[in-house]
Formats: sequence, C-alpha cells, structure tokens
Amino acid sequence: MAVVDVENVTKRYEERGQPPADALRGVSVKVEKGEFMALAGPSGSGKTTLLNLIGGLDAPTGGTIRVEGHDISSMGRAALADLRRDRIGFVFQAYNLIPVLTARENAEYVLELQGVPAGDRRRRVDELFERIGLGALAGSRPLKMSGGQQQRVAVARAIVSQPAVVLADEPTANLDQHTGAALVDLMRELNRERGITFIFSTHDPMVLERADRVVRLVDGQIAGDERKKAA
Amino acid sequence: MSPFPLLKLAWRSIWRNRRRTLISMSAATFGLVLVIFYSSLMSAMIGEAKTQLDTTGMGHVEISAAGYRQKPQASRAFQDPAQVVQSLSLPPGSEAGYRVLARALISSAHASEGVELHGVDWANEARLASYVTDLRAGALPAAGDANGILIGEKLAARLKVGVGSKLRVMASRTDGEVGANLFRVRGIFHSISPAISQTRVVVGAAAAQELLGTPGAAHEIVVQIDDPSKADALAASLGKQLGGGYEVFSYGQLIPAMKSIEALMDNALFIAALFVYMLVGLGVLNTALMSVMERTREFGVMMAVGTRPRRLVWQVLAESFWIATISATVGLALGLAITWYGSGHALMDFSKKLGEGMDLGGMTIRSALRTAFSISQSLKAAAYVYAMALLVGLYPAWRVTRMRPADALRRA
Repeated sequence: MAVVDVENVTKRYEERGQPPADALRGVSVKVEKGEFMALAGPSGSGKTTLLNLIGGLDAPTGGTIRVEGHDISSMGRAALADLRRDRIGFVFQAYNLIPVLTARENAEYVLELQGVPAGDRRRRVDELFERIGLGALAGSRPLKMSGGQQQRVAVARAIVSQPAVVLADEPTANLDQHTGAALVDLMRELNRERGITFIFSTHDPMVLERADRVVRLVDGQIAGDERKKAA
Repeated sequence: MSPFPLLKLAWRSIWRNRRRTLISMSAATFGLVLVIFYSSLMSAMIGEAKTQLDTTGMGHVEISAAGYRQKPQASRAFQDPAQVVQSLSLPPGSEAGYRVLARALISSAHASEGVELHGVDWANEARLASYVTDLRAGALPAAGDANGILIGEKLAARLKVGVGSKLRVMASRTDGEVGANLFRVRGIFHSISPAISQTRVVVGAAAAQELLGTPGAAHEIVVQIDDPSKADALAASLGKQLGGGYEVFSYGQLIPAMKSIEALMDNALFIAALFVYMLVGLGVLNTALMSVMERTREFGVMMAVGTRPRRLVWQVLAESFWIATISATVGLALGLAITWYGSGHALMDFSKKLGEGMDLGGMTIRSALRTAFSISQSLKAAAYVYAMALLVGLYPAWRVTRMRPADALRRA
C-alpha cells in the first residue's frame, strides 16, 4: 500500500472579483514507504498546493488523496489534525518554529499533543537532538539560532513522532548552498535510518540530485516522473 | 490534555508585546480599582447616613398619635407614654423612649430663634441620641431639673449664650394660649447635623409637658433596633399591635429620600461599573485580537503539526486567562488596600466648604468622605472584571478556529 496516493486531484482557487485559477489539474501520483522524493517545477507550478493537499491543510476541488489508506478528503478538521499529529511531519521554507518556545520545547510540542509523558518527551527529543547535532542548542530560543540550526529543529519537530511521511516545502530555499546541502543530507540519513518517507518541493538542482525520485510539475500537471537507479 | 504546557505557552505569548500587554492589564486593573473605590464610597455614604440616624436621635421606627405627622400640634398627643413603651413587642437589644415635641421660639438677651423643642427622659435620651452626651460645654441636666436646657453649638453662637445663660422658651399650648418658661443653659452639645446644632433644644419631659399644657402626654415614641433592615416589618407589626389611635412609620417611610438615594446610587454604580467593564473588555479584546492576528501564520503551523481546533481555542483563552488573572489580582489588591486605608482616613474632605456634616433630604452624612472596606463587594467587582476579560477572549479564539491551515500559513 502506498503511503501517499494522489488520484486525479484538481485544485481551483476562486476569489471574488478574480478569474478562477487552476493550481492543479488532474494530478495523480503514488509515493511508497521510504521514498525520498522531490517535487520539482517553476514557481506557480503547484508544488506547494500539492503538498498542502497531501498534508490535509487544504481541500482538493476534485479527486481523492489517501494517506496510509485513509481518504483525507472525507475527514473532519479534528480527524485531519490527529492524522497530521500522528502520521505527517511538516518542514517549511521559513522554519516556522514557535518563537517563545526553546528548540527542545518546539520539538516536544508534537509529542505533548500526542499525550506522551514529559519524561519520555524529553528523552526522545534529547536523543534526536544529539543525533542531528543540536544537543548544545536544546535550550535556545529560535531567534538566537542561525537559519540552518532553526531548520534542523524544524526537521526534528517533523520526525520526532516517527510519522509515515514528512512534507517539506522548499526546505533549503532560505539557506546558503553549504547549509542547504547539509540539511538535505541529514534528511536523507534520517530517511534511511528510520524509513520515513520524505516528499519535498524544490527547484534547487543541488537538492534534486540528492532525491531518489523527481516528480516534475508544470502548470499544475505532472510533466515528468524520474526515478534514479539505486547506487 | 494537560493544562500546564498550554498555560506556559500562553504565559510566554502574552509577553511577546510587553508594552501592549501591560497597557491592557493596566486598563483592566485601573478599571477594577475604580469600581471597587466607587462602590465602597457609595456604601460608606449610605452606611454613614444609617449610622447617623442613631447619633441624631431618629428612630428606625417612630410612633406618634394619629394625625400628628400631618399636623404636628401639641394637642395631638397620647397619654401614659411610659406605659405604651413598656407594652411594645420589640426584638431583643432594642432601645425605646418617648418625647414631647413642639415648635417653639427661644430668646436670649441678644436674639430669638425658631427651634424644635424635645422634652425627654434624660437617661433614655442619652441611649437614643448620642449627640445629647456629646457636650462641648456644661453637663447633662439632672433627672429632676425642671429648668435645665441643652442647646446646640450653632444655636448658642447665634443666641450668644453659654452655660448658665438664661433663655426664654415660648410655644403654643393645647388650650390656645402661649406658654412661656425660663430655662438655664446646662450644656451645649455638638452634632454633625447643621440643622440639629442650630434648631434643636432639649429639656426634661415634665418641663415640656408643663410648657405645652399636656401633663402625662407625649407626641412620639422612638424605637432603635440592631438590624435596621427589619424596620419595615417591625413598623407593620407595631401598627397592628397599637391599633388605629397611632401612626407607626419606619425610617424608610419617614425619609423616602434615603431609599431613593440608595436606589439612585445603586443605579449609578451599575451604569458606571458596566461602562468600566465594557472598557476593560474592549481593552483586553483589542490585545487578544491583535495578538491573534499577528500570529496567524504561527497558528497555521500549530494546526499543521496536528493541533486540534479545540486546543487552539484553549490556547487563546489561556492568554486571556493570564491577562484576566493578573489584572484582577492586582486590581483587587490595590482596591482593597485603597478602601481599607480610606475606611480609616478621609480620602475626600469637603468639611472646609460644607462643615462637618451635610443634611441631604433628612439624612445626615459627614463631609469628610470615607470608604467602606468590603472584601465580598470587592471580590464581586473583581469577578466581573475577570469574567469580562475571559468572555472577550472567546471572539479571537473563535476567529482562530475559522482559519484554514493553508490560508493561515500563506499569511506573511
């Protein structure tokens, strides 16, 4: 069973006084467990829209989306929130950490939503922070950290609950080339170590060359689906 | 869901914009202090007026012969007043006594003044009207003193007399003649009521009866009770007991202005408090709404990582909870401190302009205004501010639940 199954999905934005805009037009794609997949395409091609739909942050105009077999278009808001909490991690371009929480507390937030006891939360987050080289920064607030450090915390927040899939929207767009490459390498390692599926949007060639699979979007339609042969 | 991480996050969130939060809290705190102060001042004024009933000698219940209140003539008297007082069914702790009353003209060698003559049993009167024992010169006349008279400070000044001076008192008798007698000033009393100080004179009951030609008769019985709120019920029961030959009134019936002023003050307090609570609500609403609008993207992230809409509502309400808790706690503490201090010290003193006391529609209150220290009343005001601050937090919380995660994340 595919972790993510997108079938003939369309998304039309309609705003008063504006002509309707079709962001996605009949997109179908299946993502298997453990894939490290990039969504490529120019700005406005529908990458972020597709990620938002897969993550249940927005509703499709047509078609169906299944995450681990659950049809998310038929779910209510609370059920969708629970699905995101337990099975989907997010990494955003602008890091989007909660500024009044420390790095550790940001990562713990999802576990706290899951009802994990405080001791377990702390142990799991500390172990993860050690693994990704953030141990010394656990008590720091996001604004005291560099962009690369903040994005690592965001990655930690996304994977700490061991989700089925992590959706990363342009995760390296705000980072320099070296930091961006290090972040993608980290995501790749976590993908291999933990078997977590990663789907990320990018138009950065450095990121694309590290992906196992690249799905190209142009004008809201899939223009290509390339899989690299295993090394 | 554990409330503690939620409260911790809310606590940190309210301090993101420290100045705005402090301004909002200050407004709520100040509003609460204002309501506590104003309500305690109003309570103190009404309480003072009720207390002054005792010091001026007015009864919580007053009994007179039928028709005397409408036409106070010497002939409208009742016989054997001491026996009538004895026969009254009064609650424990009550004080009662009778008086002989008349309008009279009093003259010294220098001036004449119209006065209210009270003929009393001195021992009883000392318990019913504290001003007769508040003597600034001389002493209370002895029980058998047929010519002793007490007058107020203001009257003494107008008549230019002192202790030992002679005064001539004239009043209409029941036989149509004018009665006159000579009295000697035994004492000069002090009263905070300007009217009592200037127009009341007190003599022995027998002397007043002789002057008016009403031997063994009196015009008024005064009853003072421990719980003034039961005055209306007592007046009704005494009215039934005494029958048609008497009129029985409670102080509320005798001074309707007191109840009117009490009602007016209650209404004014209600309107002022409502106004303040609304301002407090708007201030907190503004802070909470601004805070939510500024953090739309952050709420989008919280939804994206799996926060349920209900938890977001609690998150926003938790921020209102802190603002309300701090404002109400500080406001309550300040309000209690101010009213406690004000209950022992005059915070507003008009005595230089108005004299020691003010007569208002039959009531007397001190010109130096104090506050009434009331924990329960202050807690009530704090509870309203608290409830208002929490209530207005519902609107921004509702706004958050209306956001779609994708739209919230798109906000810059």
